[in-house]
Amino acid sequence: MDKKGQIAIFVIVALVIVGVILVIFAYPQIKNIVAPSEISPSQYLKDCISPEVKGAVDILAKQGGDENPVGYINYLNVKVKYLCYASGYYKTCSIQQPMLLSHFSDELERILTPKINTCARNLIAEYERRGFSVSSSAISSNVSLGSGNIKIEFIAPMTITQAETTRTFDKFDVSIESGIYDLLSIATSIVDYEATYGDSETTLYMQYYPNLKIEKIKLEDGVKIYKLTDVVTNESFAFATRSLVWPAGYGL
Amino acid sequence: MIKISMIAAALSFFILISSSSVFAQGSTPTVCCEKTISGLYCQDVPAAQCDPNPNVRQVPTSCKATSYCKPGTCFDSNEGTCLDNTPQNVCNLNKGIWSDQAAPQCELGCCVLGDQAAFVTLTRCKKLSADLGLETNYKKDIKDEATCVASVLGQEKGACVFESEFQKTCRFTTRAECAGGLFGNKTKGDFFVGKLCSAEELGTICGPTTNTICAPGKEEVYFVDSCGNIANIYDASKVNDKEYWTNVKDKSEACNPNSANAGSASCGNCNYLIGSFCRATTRGTNQAAYGTNICADLNCKNTQNGNNYKHGESWCVYEDAGETGVSDNSVGSRFYKHICINGEEVLEACADFRQHECIEGSINYTGGSFSQAACRVNRWQGCTEQKSKANCENTDKMDCKWIGGSTIKCVPKNSPGLKFWEGEEAKSICGQANVRCEATGTKKPYSISAGERKWDWSGECVNSDGTISSSWKNEMIGICKSLGDCGPKVNWIGDKGYKDSYKFTS
Repeated sequence: MDKKGQIAIFVIVALVIVGVILVIFAYPQIKNIVAPSEISPSQYLKDCISPEVKGAVDILAKQGGDENPVGYINYLNVKVKYLCYASGYYKTCSIQQPMLLSHFSDELERILTPKINTCARNLIAEYERRGFSVSSSAISSNVSLGSGNIKIEFIAPMTITQAETTRTFDKFDVSIESGIYDLLSIATSIVDYEATYGDSETTLYMQYYPNLKIEKIKLEDGVKIYKLTDVVTNESFAFATRSLVWPAGYGL
Repeated sequence: MIKISMIAAALSFFILISSSSVFAQGSTPTVCCEKTISGLYCQDVPAAQCDPNPNVRQVPTSCKATSYCKPGTCFDSNEGTCLDNTPQNVCNLNKGIWSDQAAPQCELGCCVLGDQAAFVTLTRCKKLSADLGLETNYKKDIKDEATCVASVLGQEKGACVFESEFQKTCRFTTRAECAGGLFGNKTKGDFFVGKLCSAEELGTICGPTTNTICAPGKEEVYFVDSCGNIANIYDASKVNDKEYWTNVKDKSEACNPNSANAGSASCGNCNYLIGSFCRATTRGTNQAAYGTNICADLNCKNTQNGNNYKHGESWCVYEDAGETGVSDNSVGSRFYKHICINGEEVLEACADFRQHECIEGSINYTGGSFSQAACRVNRWQGCTEQKSKANCENTDKMDCKWIGGSTIKCVPKNSPGLKFWEGEEAKSICGQANVRCEATGTKKPYSISAGERKWDWSGECVNSDGTISSSWKNEMIGICKSLGDCGPKVNWIGDKGYKDSYKFTS
C-alpha cells in the first residue's frame, strides 16, 4: 500500500470518528426533533379531535342541529330540521326545538364520544411508546359551546411516570375555534320571531352583525329555509320553519 | 221591444277535478296531535297524521286547549334565554322550564360587559360575564335596550398598569374594570385616563408594533401593541409617531374621518355606516402597508337593476310580466326583496301567490338616502266588498284600487294568485266578475232600404247595431283580470294561455 492510500484511509477514519462524535453530541436534539420525549397532551388531543369536530359540526349545521332529524324538509337532498312549525294556515308556529344550544352540544358530544375515547387511548399509547409508564382510569368527556369556540373536556385521569418523574392529570381541556355558538344564538332569536310574529326581518340582523349573511329561501306552501353564514369564517347553520302561512286565495 | 241579456262569464284557468277532496280537506276535523307521523310536535292535524304509538296523546280539540301542548314560555337555564310559543311537553322534553305566562327569569335588564352592554336576562348576563372573564354587572332598573347601550357609551378608557410576574405591564380598559379587578380576579391596577399602554412615560413592557387588529365590536382597523392591547386607529404615516402611540385619539382625529377608506393601504378609519368594515386581507384584496387588515368595501356596485346600493340597503324588484299596483299582475309572478350585504346582492322572495307584496321607502340624510324594503301581507281579501271610494282607498286597512264600476267598484291593487288548477275557490273568486247586462231592442216599423237593419239597440253594453260594445267588453275583461288569476292573463314570462278564459253570450 502506498503512502497516498494510507493517508486516504486515515482521513476517512478521522471523518467517521468526527461524524460519530457529532452524532453522539447531537443525538438528543435529533431524537427530540424526530420524536420529542415531551408531549403536550392538550395539543396532541386537539390535533387528534379537531378534524372530527369540524366534520361533525358541518353535518349538524346543515341539518338544523340534528344528526338524524325527524320533522324535517328535504331541501337539495339534505334533511333540514324544522325548528318551528305550524300546520294549516294563519297560525304562528310552535317551537319544535327549544334549548338549541344545549341540544347541539349534546348531539356533538354523542357523535364525538367514540373519537374522544380513541384520542385519549392514543395519547396513553404514545406515552407508553416513548417509555413512560401510564396508569389511567375510565375516560369520559364533556362538550360545550362558547362564543368563538367549542370546548372539549377530556376527563381522562392518568398518572405518567418516567424514571423519578411523575405527572398526574385529571382532565385535559381542548378549545377549538368555531363561530357556531354565535350562529345558533342568532338562529334562536330568529325562531323566537317566527313563533311570535310569523316572520323575521333578516336585514336588521345583518346590519347589526357585520359578518353575518342570512339567506331566507322560500319553498312551497310557506316553508322557509334559513341559512346563516359567517362571511369571514364561512361557517354556516341552516334550519327550516313554517309559520303564519297565507294560502292561495282564501284558503277554503 | 224585447230585452236580451248579455252575460260575460269569467272562466278561470281551472280544471274541475278533485274539488270534493279540497272541500273535504277544509272540513276534515283535526285533533291536537302530541307528535305527528313526520315527527313534528303539537300540531292540529287530521287524526290519521298522528303518530300511531299508543303513548302519543291526541285530543279532538285545539292544541292551545290541551294541557300537554299548551303554548307558553320555555326558559333555558343554561343560556338564560326564553322562547315564546313553546308547547309544554316540548319544553319539558328538552329540560327547559316551562310557564304559561311570562316567567320572572325572562325579565330583561342591562348587562354591562366592559365597555359594551347587552339587554338580556340575569342568567344570560352571568354566563356572558363568565365567558369574558368579567364580574357580573347587571342593572335591572334599566328597562330598554337603547338606555342600556347608552349607559356604557362615553366610559373613560385608558391604560391600566399593574405588576405581573415581577414585570410592569398594562391593559387598555375602562376605569371601572381597572378598579374592579382584571381578568375576573382581584388584580387591580393604576389607571391613566386617555393614555395608551405603549406610552413611554408609563414605563411598561408594552411598546409599539406594526401589527394591526380587527377588534371585536369595532369597525376600524387598530394598531396593536406588543402586549396585545389595541392602540389607535391604523394610520401608516403614524407608525413611528411617539405621540400617536402615547395618547388615545378619537375617530375624528384619525386619518380621513369623513371617508369610508375602503381598500386604503394606509388608513384604517373604516366607517360601517357608509360601507366599510375591518377585515383581514386576502390574496384578492388590496394589501395594507402594515399589518394584515384593511377597510373592506361592503357596498354593492352595479346591481341587477344597474344601481349602486349601500351595505344594508334593500329594495323591491318585480321583473315579471305585467305591472304592480294597477291590478295587472301576471300568473305565477311574485315580488322580490333585494338586499345589499357585504358587497353581495342577496335575494329574498316574498310569499308566493302574491300573498305578500314588497313595499319600499327611503330615509334621507345629509349624505344621501338609504333605501329600505319589506315583504308585507297583501290585504286584497275585502276589496270587492267595498262600495265607497274612501273605504276602498283606506291604505291603513286594505290594498285596493277604486274603479267605480257598475257592479264591482273596488279591486285589489295587486291581484292575488290562485290555485286555479284545483278546487272550486278560483271559480268562486273569478266568478265575481260574471255580469249580466240588459239591452233593449226596438223594431223599426219598416225598412228604408234593403239591407238596412230592422232593430235599433240601446244599453251600456251594446252598440246600436246590437253588437257588444268593445269598451264595455274591455272594461269587463279588466275587472275580471284584476280579481286574481282570472280571465285572459299572461304568465310571468308573458305567454298567453291556450284559451280566452272568458265568454260573452247573448
